[in-house]
Amino acid sequence: MNHETIRRTLAQRAGGDADANAVAKAAISTWHEASARLSPVIGGQGIDVLLRRSLHVAGKTFPALPEPTHEARNNVLLANLQMRLAACETALAVEASNALLVTFTELMSSLIGESLTEHLLAPIWAPSLPASDQKGAP
Amino acid sequence: MNNKVTIHQLATGVPGLDAILGGGLPEFSFNLIVGTPGSGKTTLAHQIMFSLATPERPALFFTVLGEPPLKMLRYQQQFSFFDAAKINSSIRFVNLSDEVSIGNFQQVLARITAEVEEYSPALVFVDSFRSVMLEAGRHEQGMLNLQQFIQQLGVHLTGWQATTFLIGEYVTDSEPPPVYTVADGLLSLEQAVSRNSMVRKLQVLKMRGQETRPGMHTFRITEDGIEVFPAAIVHDDSSRPHDAAEPRISEARLSMGVPELDKMLGGGLPTGYSMLVAGPSGSGKTILATAFLAEGVRLGEPGIIVAFEQTPSQSRTRTIDELVRTGRIGLINTRALDLSIDEIVQRLVDLIDEMKATRVVIDSLSGFELAVAPSFREDFRESLFRMIAVLAGLGVTVLMTSELEDRYTDLRFSPYGSAFLTDAIIVQRYIEIDSRLKRVMAVVKVRSSAHCDEIRQYEIIDGEIVIGCPVDDYEGILGGRPTQTVARDLIK
Repeated sequence: MNHETIRRTLAQRAGGDADANAVAKAAISTWHEASARLSPVIGGQGIDVLLRRSLHVAGKTFPALPEPTHEARNNVLLANLQMRLAACETALAVEASNALLVTFTELMSSLIGESLTEHLLAPIWAPSLPASDQKGAP
Repeated sequence: MNNKVTIHQLATGVPGLDAILGGGLPEFSFNLIVGTPGSGKTTLAHQIMFSLATPERPALFFTVLGEPPLKMLRYQQQFSFFDAAKINSSIRFVNLSDEVSIGNFQQVLARITAEVEEYSPALVFVDSFRSVMLEAGRHEQGMLNLQQFIQQLGVHLTGWQATTFLIGEYVTDSEPPPVYTVADGLLSLEQAVSRNSMVRKLQVLKMRGQETRPGMHTFRITEDGIEVFPAAIVHDDSSRPHDAAEPRISEARLSMGVPELDKMLGGGLPTGYSMLVAGPSGSGKTILATAFLAEGVRLGEPGIIVAFEQTPSQSRTRTIDELVRTGRIGLINTRALDLSIDEIVQRLVDLIDEMKATRVVIDSLSGFELAVAPSFREDFRESLFRMIAVLAGLGVTVLMTSELEDRYTDLRFSPYGSAFLTDAIIVQRYIEIDSRLKRVMAVVKVRSSAHCDEIRQYEIIDGEIVIGCPVDDYEGILGGRPTQTVARDLIK
């Protein structure tokens, strides 16, 4: 997966001169969309596990990311993630969000192959996203 | 006017499967694929799906509990048929585990039917239907009626013009038989381990409206997916008109590449015949087989050698190596020890078609028996019979070699009792004359043809068989210790 594509997608979603709050929103919306695209294929439980693993791995470099706990449900975990990213310096929020999504796509690639991952996620990396594509997001 | 409905058949894309199914899968049929864990059910379903699914004929694949979808995709994409580009364009995956774990039977059914109505797929797969039932059943009062679930699904999906596959775990004795009466097609997969070999088998237990090939058919899973080897069928020709049922006595004869031997055979080996060359180790069976193939090449009659050597090129002659290397004869060499005879027959038939071959050598039956999986050895003779019949049906001329133990107390041509299966027999033996081992050869049988009855000495000179004089001044040759008749006459 092209890291620059992920970075560009996040930047575009957050908008120009974005603050940490906008970056956090962009990261969460990107996640929801990826989740909506992948869950029919790999199941909701599969997505949950991959989110937790990605947070765990990326969290080693970016302690600002929440460490997944057994008790926390995924929607709680995502709310926590958004809150913590929004509380960061903007530059750190950008880097942490980026690292999380890069870790996630690399994890997917290691499990189901790069070509299938790219094929499944290609629509969300498009520079501009039609509103209709977001209807599947919870 | 014919008002009967025409049932279209879909080609499954699984080599050999359509032949067993009787032409293909009936369109809009409702099929069950059952088998033990690891028997290849999901692989079979995926192979059929990737082969059949197109944007105009989309497929829906419902995954339920059981094999996690992540793992399924991880392993299935190792097969060459897996085409990631088809996902979401021609193939849609729908994971039902969330509905199944929180919902009930009716909700699961409702979700499946809702997805089918929205997407209008031509192909539907549910992997696995027993997981749906067991999990949904936990939330209901008591166990659900499996038959009811399958029946409702069957009615709905056929109504929506979808060809459906339910994939399930192994069949148990306690399984209610009516479940299987609902299905139009029932494919059963199994794997059997015998000693160190593992053999996979497939059976079509049922396929409504078409004649399937009965019995168990072996299959293999390779990187290209499943390949089925339909058990060779020997056609019963007793109902054919008399002239068609006549044994194919051909006027044409093939040269063996040893001129003197052709004379002994009464002018060569009739085309389409099968010949057994039996002899002890080192008697020159492979050399004779080489001459047979080389002569074919010389006359523009392509040949194939089926070899079963554990070390390459050890027993093959240099001539054979050269002919194989230059592509003038085909080679099927296998060191696998888990073959089924049907697999060899399939490969052989494919190669015969490809090369337009008319001569086939099987060197040797002893090696063949070793290469066949232990579970098939019991049926070796029967399978050999079927193989010879299939090859005879193709009109090719077959030469088989058979190792013969050096026993001088009895006269046997083959340890498999296969002598009667063949049309012609040549036997080679060693005899002791003047404290030397000499080779002798005789034509024992050429069906429906006159042949020489002499026992001839022969030598192997520069890799060629040179047949000498009849051994007419000795008797008791086949006993291995001949006595000179001339000397005895003189004493008299």
